[in-house]
Formats: sequence, C-alpha cells, structure tokens
Amino acid sequence: MKVKRTSIRRAMGCLLFGIVLGTWAQGQTKGKIGMTCMDLTNPFFKLIANVMEKEAAKYDYELLALDANNDPAKQNNQLSDFVAQGCAAIFLNPADSRAAGEGVKKAHAAGIPVFTFDVQVTDKEAAPLVESHIGSDNFQGGRLAGESMLKVTGGKGKIAILSYPEVTSCILRVDGFKKVLQQTPTELKIVSELSGRGNRNDGYNTTTDMLQAHSDIVGIFAINDPSALGAHSAVVKAGKQDQITVIGFDASPAGKQAVFEKKLYDSPQQFPRKMAKGTVDAFIRYMEGEDVAKKIFIPCEHYYYENAVKDPSREKEQW
Amino acid sequence: MWKLKRDYGMLVVLIGLCVLFSALTLNDQMPEGDQAAQQVAKNLDAKVDKNAVILAVGAANKPSASFAGKANDLLQEKGFKQSRLVVGTPRDLRQALDQVRQNGDIVSAIATTGDVPEWRLIEILPEKYPEFASCVLETPKPYKWPDFLKRSNLLAIVDRIVVIAVIAIGMTMVIITAGIDLSVGSLIALSAVISTSLMKLWGGLEASGWIVLLGFLAGTLACGGVGAAGGFIVARFKVPPFITTLAIMMIGRGLAFMITGGFSIYQVPSSLTWLGQGRSMGIPNTVILLILLYAAAHIFMTYTRLGRHIYAVGGNEEASRLSGISVSGVIVFVYIVSSLAAGLGGCIQASQLNSGTPNMGIMYELYVIAAVVVGGTSLSGGSGRILGTLIGAFIISVIQNGMNLLGIESYTQQVVLGAVIVGGVLLDKARTGKKQTTRKAEKEVQR
Repeated sequence: MKVKRTSIRRAMGCLLFGIVLGTWAQGQTKGKIGMTCMDLTNPFFKLIANVMEKEAAKYDYELLALDANNDPAKQNNQLSDFVAQGCAAIFLNPADSRAAGEGVKKAHAAGIPVFTFDVQVTDKEAAPLVESHIGSDNFQGGRLAGESMLKVTGGKGKIAILSYPEVTSCILRVDGFKKVLQQTPTELKIVSELSGRGNRNDGYNTTTDMLQAHSDIVGIFAINDPSALGAHSAVVKAGKQDQITVIGFDASPAGKQAVFEKKLYDSPQQFPRKMAKGTVDAFIRYMEGEDVAKKIFIPCEHYYYENAVKDPSREKEQW
Repeated sequence: MWKLKRDYGMLVVLIGLCVLFSALTLNDQMPEGDQAAQQVAKNLDAKVDKNAVILAVGAANKPSASFAGKANDLLQEKGFKQSRLVVGTPRDLRQALDQVRQNGDIVSAIATTGDVPEWRLIEILPEKYPEFASCVLETPKPYKWPDFLKRSNLLAIVDRIVVIAVIAIGMTMVIITAGIDLSVGSLIALSAVISTSLMKLWGGLEASGWIVLLGFLAGTLACGGVGAAGGFIVARFKVPPFITTLAIMMIGRGLAFMITGGFSIYQVPSSLTWLGQGRSMGIPNTVILLILLYAAAHIFMTYTRLGRHIYAVGGNEEASRLSGISVSGVIVFVYIVSSLAAGLGGCIQASQLNSGTPNMGIMYELYVIAAVVVGGTSLSGGSGRILGTLIGAFIISVIQNGMNLLGIESYTQQVVLGAVIVGGVLLDKARTGKKQTTRKAEKEVQR
C-alpha cells in the first residue's frame, strides 16, 4: 500500500512538471483578450470568435473565447475570471442585457476596457462604462424587411410578425419593420404579433396557431431565420405557400439556402465577420489612444434570390 | 491527523489542484505599491535631467492610479518640476503627449507600472511621435507570482461557488438520507424571481434595505414551503424522491416564468447587491455567509440528535424506525432544509446579478450533486460530511476558474470537469476502499 502511494505521487509530480514545462515553452503573447458570448455552439458566434482570434493574433493578442451557455450567472463568473487574470480587454456579448452590467462594473473598476458586440448592455449604470458597442443596425435591418414586405405584397392584405420580445436586437427589428409600414401609405395590416422564441420549433407551432386564427394572411415577418423556416414549414403544411410570403432575418447559411430555394423572399443580411473585425479594430484604436465611437452600427443588406444565386458562400454553407 | 487525512482525502486533491494552477499561471507581475514608486523615482533621478518632462502614467484602476500619483509626488520632491500625472486610458495618455508636443517640449521619460507598458500607444510611440523617440520607459522590476493566487482571483473563486456551496449543505443532508433533490436549480430561479418581484412591487429602485430583506425572506420561505410539500409527498406516499423533485423542478421553473412573463426583473433597489457583492469589515459577505452556514451545519450534523438521526435514517430506515426515530419527520426536514438553502442561493444569485431572471440556475442541481459526491458523500446514503461537501464545491470552482485562467476552450472545459469529477471520486474510493468494502460486507451479512 505504502509503495503504491509513493508511486502515485511520483507520477503526479512528473505530470505536473511536464505541464509546467509545456506552458513555459509556449512563449509569451502581448496579452489576453477575454471574450464571452451567449452561445458558442451557435455557428454565428463561433465564426465571430474565430475571426476575432485571427484579427487579435495580428497584433499579438491571444483571445480566450468562452461560452456562457445563456446563463447570466456563468457569464458573470467568466467576467470575474477575466478581471482576475488582468486581461487587456473584454469582448462581451451579454447573455442578459441587464445582468451583464454587474460584470461590466467590475471590469471598469479594474481599468479593463469592455467592448460589447451584437447585443448591447442596457443597465443604466453600466452602459456608459462600455467603451464601444459594435453590432448590426437591427432597426435599419427591420426597415429592409418592411420594404420587402411592401414590395412583395403590393401593400395590400393582412400580415403577421413572429417576434422575440426577450431579446433587444429582435425588438429593434420589429420596430424598424413597423416604422416603414407607418411611414408608407399602405393597406397592409398587422393582424397578429406573437413570439416565435427565435427557434424553428416554436416558429412552427406559433405560425400553425396564427393560421388557425387568420387564414387569410399574405405575409409573415420572422425576426430570424430559424423561426422564419419554422413559419415556412407551417405554411407548407397548411398548403398556403402560394398565398403567404415569409421574410426572415440574418441570412444565416440555412437562411441563404432557403432564399435560394425561394422558401424565404428576403433575409436582411448581418455581417458577423465585419462585426468581429470591427470589435478588434475598436480595441486596437483604443489601445493606440485614438477616439473610439461609442456605438458602431454595421448596416444590414437585402438578401434576395438574385443575391443567393451568385453567392459562393451559400454553397459553402458559410455566413 | 491520520483520521483527518482519511476523512478528508479530497482535501489533498483540492490542494493539488491549487498547486497545479498556481504553477501554470505563474506570471510576471508588476509591483504597484509605494515602494515600487520609490524605486522608479530613484532610477529616473539617476538617468534623467531635472528639467526633463516626465509623465507618471497610471491606468484607470485604484492601485495603478495611486502608484502613478505617488511616483509623480516623489519626482516633484526630487526636483523634477516638469513631472506630470496622467491617469486613465490610452486616450488620456495620447492627449497628454499631444499637449507636450504643442508646448514644443519633449517627453524624456514615462514612469509607469501594471498593464500600461503593454499599451499599443507606448509600443508605437516612436512612429507616432518621432520627436519623442528617445523617451525612456521606466517601470519597477517585475516579480513572479501566480495569477491564480492573486487576492482578486481567490475572491472570484468564492464568489462563483457560493450559490452552489450553500445549496450543497441541504443536498448533503438529503443525499445522506439516500434521497436526491433535483428541484434546487429551479428553486434558485423561483426564489430570485419572487424576491425581486416583491422588491419591485414594494418600491422598486427606491425601496429600503428592509424591503430587500423582506423580499429575500419571502423568496426563501416560499421555496421552503415547496420543499415541505415535496418532503411530505416523499415521506407519506413513498413516491421516489427522484420523481417527486423532478416534478417540483418543472413546476418551479414554470412558476418562475409565469411570475415574470419570461422577462428579467431589474427594477430593484441598489441595496440588493449587499448580500452577494458587499463587504463587512473588509471581508466579502459571501465569505462570511459561507463560513457561518458551514460551521452551523457541521455542528448540527455532528453534535445534535436530529443531525445523527439523518445519518441513521440513511444508514438503515427500518432500523431507525424500530429504534423510535420519526423517519417521516427527518425526511420532511431534510427536504425543507434543501429547499430553504436553494431559496437562499437564489437570493444570493439575484444579489450578485442585481436582477431576477427565470432562467437562472439551469443545470445547477447537477453541479450541486457533483459537489456533494466529490466531497465524499455516498449516494446510497448513511455516510457523508458537511465539510467534505465544502471541499467538493471548492474543487469544482477551482477547476472552472483555473481552466478559464489557462484559456482552455469552453468545449474542452466540460470534458475536463467531468473527467476530474470521476477521477476525484475514484481516487477517494481507492484511498478509503478498504473501509468501504468491509462496510458493504457488513451490510450483506445484515441482509
């Protein structure tokens, strides 16, 4: 028994020594950037993380990308860890726009600049402490969806919206959409606005219920591609694909393909690569002592069938 | 001593992990105290002309700023009349440099510490300000110290585990009775949502500390009530605890969403943060709370009659009944404690996040159970220690924190955490293996 214990200890000692040597041999970078986002299993954020890593490496910074699993408490802990190890900056995509404020305050007290991307921090005290926000112009993107809806319906008939009121960016999309309808003299009427919870399953179920109540709608705007695709499935199931046009949002790989297959009429495109590069650029400008705009919005663009046909990224299933 | 080692074998694992992460996160640290400022001022005194322009630069945090302030004072004392203080972001430094350039002067030296030498502005200084190319960057001599053992990091370890550790107290008792409580994760959300909704209702942002306390009490007691109902169902109707608490888990989560309509509640008074983020006498309240709760629970489980009855019920329910213990009473009691602990955990989490969200605490029941089991409590009941659970909770926290410090990818982290839990328990089994097998044999004989 005694012999065994010493041998275990020896083995552990060797292992420890090896790991220590390994890390020292790795070589030093200029610093680390802590990045945490709401869901790293989402290809949108995975792409952002990859692009950020590459861009940061150009300036000798190492990116630590962590997944908050949509858990605000977990994200808060990750922010504390970034502060504890003295990261040069924090790139934050809040899992909860309010709760993330606590972590932002901690980072600010430690003199670590925070840059948010995609989703803004809305906590009143913490929002001014964020150095810069880089995200899609969701309101403008919503306007694009509204324009497409007007175009495709000819400004006549009943339409429905699949919203996602828990997420600020999705609220803005709906606001932009409605704004266009208000500003244009039109006979379009929004008869139903329900939450599709941003996913395919809920999009499908909600749309099925909508069609029960309003069988004569001519168009559906869904705040993202998954719920738009769910809506489309429900429309097909009801046999109304000739009557109802579905418009999505994001131009995600699945959305692009759906536009190409004419399941969706339009899907205003977001640009995760630009967002990632913009965030790193803002950080570098900050470190160079330049003025950085508090909010940097990347405009969305229409994504029609004509765009899908000549888009090489669609076939490669990329953003 | 030998007994301590046998009882708390997992302590060895915890210490081993701490040593490992300390070694792996060993890093150059820049001193920031007054001594460092003196050192920098002295070095500059020897190097630079008295009429030269010197910038004492500090980042926008307390230690760095006070270093810069002190360095500037010392330089002024030594006769550097042109020494200036710059505290803030790279932008502030750029503005200071621009101003010096406008005055037609030359910056001869920058005295600084911490992360400032890493600022890109300092790196590109010779290109951006060619006239300052000869500028000396004076920093104190760095020393080696692990990021892991920095004070702020050790506090972060406690902060991240406090919710799980508090709930694990109740879970330990439940598991010692050979039960399980899957509802604690949902009860975190329920408690957080009830307490913050009440605070919102009773005054919102302007509510007083008493309202916060009342809200916490209401949230915790509501969970206690739920736990009492669950315990009653388990004890009276003999519904397996797994099923009962699974149902409560769903009900609790659903209620939390119903109460808030799916939104988070943030119209809460600022005193809400006292419990999870505040300090008393310089010590974080979470640390004090953990020490108090664990001391009380340890004494309760070791020295009181009811505490010993919990072990007895878990060891052999029938024998306990025959020896006159109210088995149902004990079972209802442990589920109430577990739910109260979950309710308190919810209050702490609400306080840490300054809001109440119905999706708080998802999967927490599994982390809590992991902490209890890693801490040496047997899932088959009858044995386990409160302090072992504390060690188990810290093992999980240290692993999570250490992996974040090392920058291990999120996907890999889950694999490592799972492996360490299994490895830790196996190691513990190997150490206490002999004892356990004899016990098992005894049980067999009894049957």
